[in-house]
Amino acid sequence: MPDEAVSAKNPEPPRTPEVIEDRDTARLARVVRVATPFISVAIAVLIGSIVIRLAGASPVQAFSAMFEGAFGGPRQTGETLLKATPLIFTGLAVTYGFRTGLFNIGAEGQLFLGGITAAFVGVQVAALPWAASVPIIIVCAALAGAAWAFIPALMKARIGAHEVITTMMFTYIGRYFVSWIIAGPFKDEGAIPQTPLLPETSQLPRISDVFSFVQPNRAHLGFLLGIVAALLMWWILRSTVLGYEARAVGFNPMAAATAGISVSVTTVKSLCISGALAGLAGAVEVMGVHHRMFDQLSLGLGFTGIAVALLAKTNPLGVIAAALLFGALSAGAGTMQLQAGVSPRVIDIIQGVIIFMVGAEAIVAWAARRITARKGAEHVS
Amino acid sequence: MPTDELRACDVSPVQGTGTPILELRGITKRFPGVLANDDVSVEVRAGRVVALLGENGAGKSTLMNVAYGLLGPDSGEILVDGQPVSISQPRDAIDLRIGMVHQHFMLVEPLTVTENIVLGLEPTSALGVLDRSRARSRVIELSARYGLKVDPDARIMDLSVGMQQRVEILKTLYREARILILDEPTAVLTPQEVRELFDIVRELVDEGLAVVIITHKLEEVMSFADEIVVMRAGRVVGTTTPGQCDQASLARMMVGRDVVLHVEKTPVQTGDVLLEVSGLEVLDDRKLEALRGVSFSIRAGEIVGIAGVDGNGQRELVEAVMGLRRPRKGSITLMGRDITRDDPRRTIESGVSHVPEDRHRRGLVLDFDLVENTVLGDHRRRPFSRFGVLDRAAIEREAASRIAEYDVRTPDVHVAAANLSGGNQQKLVLARELGRDPEVLVAAQPTRGLDVGAIEFVHRRILAERDAGKGVLLVSMELEEIMSLSDRILVMFEGRIAAEFEGGSVTEAELGIHMTGGARKAGTSEGGADA
Amino acid sequence: MLAEIFTPELFASAIRLATPIALAAVGAAICERSGVVNIAMEGLMLIGAFAGTTVALLTGSTWLGVLGAVVASLMFASMHAWASVNLRSDQVISGTAINILALGTTGFLMKTIFGHPGTTDPVKTLAPVFDLPRGDSSALGQLWNWIDTVLLSHTPIVYFGIFASIFLTWALYRTRWGLRLRSLGEHPRAADTVGISVYKGRWFAVLVSGFMSGLAGANLTLEQVGSFTEGMTNGRGFIALAAMIFGRWVPGGGYLASLLFGFADALQLKLQIFSDVIDIPAQFFLMLPYVLTVIVLAGVVGRAVAPAADGKPFEPRG
Repeated sequence: MPDEAVSAKNPEPPRTPEVIEDRDTARLARVVRVATPFISVAIAVLIGSIVIRLAGASPVQAFSAMFEGAFGGPRQTGETLLKATPLIFTGLAVTYGFRTGLFNIGAEGQLFLGGITAAFVGVQVAALPWAASVPIIIVCAALAGAAWAFIPALMKARIGAHEVITTMMFTYIGRYFVSWIIAGPFKDEGAIPQTPLLPETSQLPRISDVFSFVQPNRAHLGFLLGIVAALLMWWILRSTVLGYEARAVGFNPMAAATAGISVSVTTVKSLCISGALAGLAGAVEVMGVHHRMFDQLSLGLGFTGIAVALLAKTNPLGVIAAALLFGALSAGAGTMQLQAGVSPRVIDIIQGVIIFMVGAEAIVAWAARRITARKGAEHVS
Repeated sequence: MPTDELRACDVSPVQGTGTPILELRGITKRFPGVLANDDVSVEVRAGRVVALLGENGAGKSTLMNVAYGLLGPDSGEILVDGQPVSISQPRDAIDLRIGMVHQHFMLVEPLTVTENIVLGLEPTSALGVLDRSRARSRVIELSARYGLKVDPDARIMDLSVGMQQRVEILKTLYREARILILDEPTAVLTPQEVRELFDIVRELVDEGLAVVIITHKLEEVMSFADEIVVMRAGRVVGTTTPGQCDQASLARMMVGRDVVLHVEKTPVQTGDVLLEVSGLEVLDDRKLEALRGVSFSIRAGEIVGIAGVDGNGQRELVEAVMGLRRPRKGSITLMGRDITRDDPRRTIESGVSHVPEDRHRRGLVLDFDLVENTVLGDHRRRPFSRFGVLDRAAIEREAASRIAEYDVRTPDVHVAAANLSGGNQQKLVLARELGRDPEVLVAAQPTRGLDVGAIEFVHRRILAERDAGKGVLLVSMELEEIMSLSDRILVMFEGRIAAEFEGGSVTEAELGIHMTGGARKAGTSEGGADA
Repeated sequence: MLAEIFTPELFASAIRLATPIALAAVGAAICERSGVVNIAMEGLMLIGAFAGTTVALLTGSTWLGVLGAVVASLMFASMHAWASVNLRSDQVISGTAINILALGTTGFLMKTIFGHPGTTDPVKTLAPVFDLPRGDSSALGQLWNWIDTVLLSHTPIVYFGIFASIFLTWALYRTRWGLRLRSLGEHPRAADTVGISVYKGRWFAVLVSGFMSGLAGANLTLEQVGSFTEGMTNGRGFIALAAMIFGRWVPGGGYLASLLFGFADALQLKLQIFSDVIDIPAQFFLMLPYVLTVIVLAGVVGRAVAPAADGKPFEPRG
């Protein structure tokens, strides 16, 4: 089948690398690649500090309160892992899309579909033992997330409708749809619109309940699941035909199509895998934290996933680190508000700045050049 | 070739008369890792045609881009009418009445001819409202004056390449250019259009303009240039005139060694029909008819060359054969099996390899390293993968051996393909496509943009495939390439095969006539090759 | 019942509800014609809405609020211009950053300035431009009333939107600025070689988009709702993007496409009133504009062609 999607769209202008880059340029490029995330975070924290200062609070006090809240003890560290868990999944979701050249901006909606599915299936399989029900719920939630990405994927593959608009629209549609289920057909008894509590056999237990040597905290097995997922994705991208084709399409769809890789099929596969991972983010939140579904399950976990993926430079293992950073920010935000009186929304600003900075690699390249130039000067003197 | 013609060139500077209208003095331009222009000096005089001759990558375009303000030189100066000038952007060049026609036209496709010509210097009434009738009449006036006939209201995307080139020239004349730079102007033209172009150039020169033509084609240089400046590896290696030099010595100056101008070929020994195309009809991206019933066949052991002006259906033919574009009618048969509806993957797996016309867009994944590029398209097959898991060790072994066999020069097999030179990138594509041991090779513009050494390598490899009993479909804009390699030549015009010739039995001029549909208009051989 | 649904008020409300989408879509058409993809309209609108309300509340002047909305939106649009034009960032990522930054900034400032999250105090909205006498019960009077309600009952920014869409469409095809803008989006290198500044042209186009999105935010708070609520733009910026595509990158086309979305929105609001007659949960009505967006995209995208250089950073000369 010819790939209509490929021939129809405008190809990238060809690059004309006439020469092998000289060594300094290559080294600088490497430095920039490695340094970008760190410099981005530094600039974001700096801007965050200015904002806090302008709001009349002390940045030092605010950030130390935040650190205290994120790493002050086993309970706090547990909170950081807890907050990082869904971000690993949404971060991986966005990462897999990026690797195929797709921007899944709608992870948020897929997350809600995964969440409601986990809440629903979790109640239905109450009779099964834990070892059976948990895998069933996880698979169903992943499928639900994938299903929610399927129509945008198909629209992208068949007619080239931009996935940024379609997945975004599906986020709104999904949220209203889920909101209806929660308030209507699958509403728990009582006035609050929420689903019934999951039976214990459908929950993800806390790490400290499974491993007795871990101090009590709220982090649950979903975190370990996230690490497994990240490792699995790293291997898939590196060592499987699926990952190879996804990367080929992401780098150069025309060349991929010429070599017999179907761009449409790869697009659909990748966006659905991305959706599945976002669905899992919803599932771990429902199974590990709230044990039921409600309207406010996520306040932008899907969007933070974009920041996580970019900060990780779309490296699955980097996603774990980036998710931990954002998990820490999120876990510490409450303490920061309590002790320094700073609105936790400041972390959204930091997040926005990080995305901006990673996107604008030129700023970092400029900073890196300054640093290497200074180093060179030091060598001379 | 008679030896008495093989005399050395007189490379003494041509005696100038009066002040040069444009003088480039000691221009040096460095790019990361390469010295594109190394202390280059060139003089251009009014009423003269200067040919800037050199291989791809010799630094000709770089030099002229400096003159036009598109690139800033690292050192050196530019003089106009003997006065030092500063040209830091095209605006400055335009103000100094320098005009340039780029190899890749700088035309905005959806805009009209008039809009393109006036862009940047638009006649307006009050408050910046376009005065369209004034613009239009100015264009009509200019095209009448210089004999450059063109429809002022046509959209660029509906024009032929030759017409687009006229628009580009009109653009510079509209800006009252005295110095006209043409970058590889004949690359995409038919022999007839080339002649027309040189007539126009002659007329402009007679009007007192100075014209600089960047080219790598020796024959043309001999026929139109008043002066020849030969460049090699960023330096001027000599200045001469057609009267003082012959083609062979020019070639030697250009390349730096003796060049075999003709490819050695063994007599053709054809076998069974490998690929059969019949009655093929295909639509292009704009849903217009690109192929209107094309039929031909390729036998084992022969090279079938497709000549034609760009945009007469060659691209769509290649895409249809490779399964990248679904035909509306007709059939494609490979060794007796119908592959008309096969997808690219099946086509490749059935034994058709493809050297795409654009190695950056289609041939390689530039961000992949050499190893990953080597198995692109074969990655699903054993031993490279099993049950969907890549065998990275096996892939690496294969890549290393093919990179060695095809002489791909690289510091490391794990660098991105983007970092290779054009010639090495094309060798990598060949290593992959030929290393697969196909039955049929489809090669589109296989030597575009390569230097002489790489061109020779590619030609040798294509001939080796033919001699090994494979079928080769060669599509090229370079008539010389078509004529020297092909055993049979098909000329495509407006989606049809306009003529067929045995290799070696036809001249460039004859091909040219068929390439523009001349013969058909004369009522001779429509679709004569379909048999 | 149909007569109760398809009232003049429905059409008036369609125009009203279309306005923020239309303003953003018209601005986006200009922006994308210059070759810069702008998915930041959602954030720009939100910033405009917040700044408009805040300035209006603090100064007591709604018009100063409108000015504040435009200025704030232009500031954020400048970031997008800087990133897309000078830094050659991925324009979709830069737009995403601004959307998230806008959400964070408005939330943060809401808490800092007003001391609480959620919704601000109400603010005085702009009055309709015309206040014309109603017609009598004759056929002519009824017709007049219909025209008055549908077309002459609107607030200033609504009319500005109509004017801007017509003016910018004309300017795109009939002025020097428009010709150059179109060349930037199709073949910036060609524009560059005839001495047109790609950077300046694109900067200006992004700012036009920022201006229009800021006005869209002002329209939302200072003409329609009368207060600011966090996240109140609710995807309108993305719908505007779809409207612009549906309108084939022409400002006037974007406006007309927005009317479709405005009508869908007006209709779903109207239908909610009849929820006892039509037994469909409210959530499904609320989905309607988003579903419509998807359907419109599915129907049109394959045939609409974006400017050739849309979204591609312009590499300066060496």
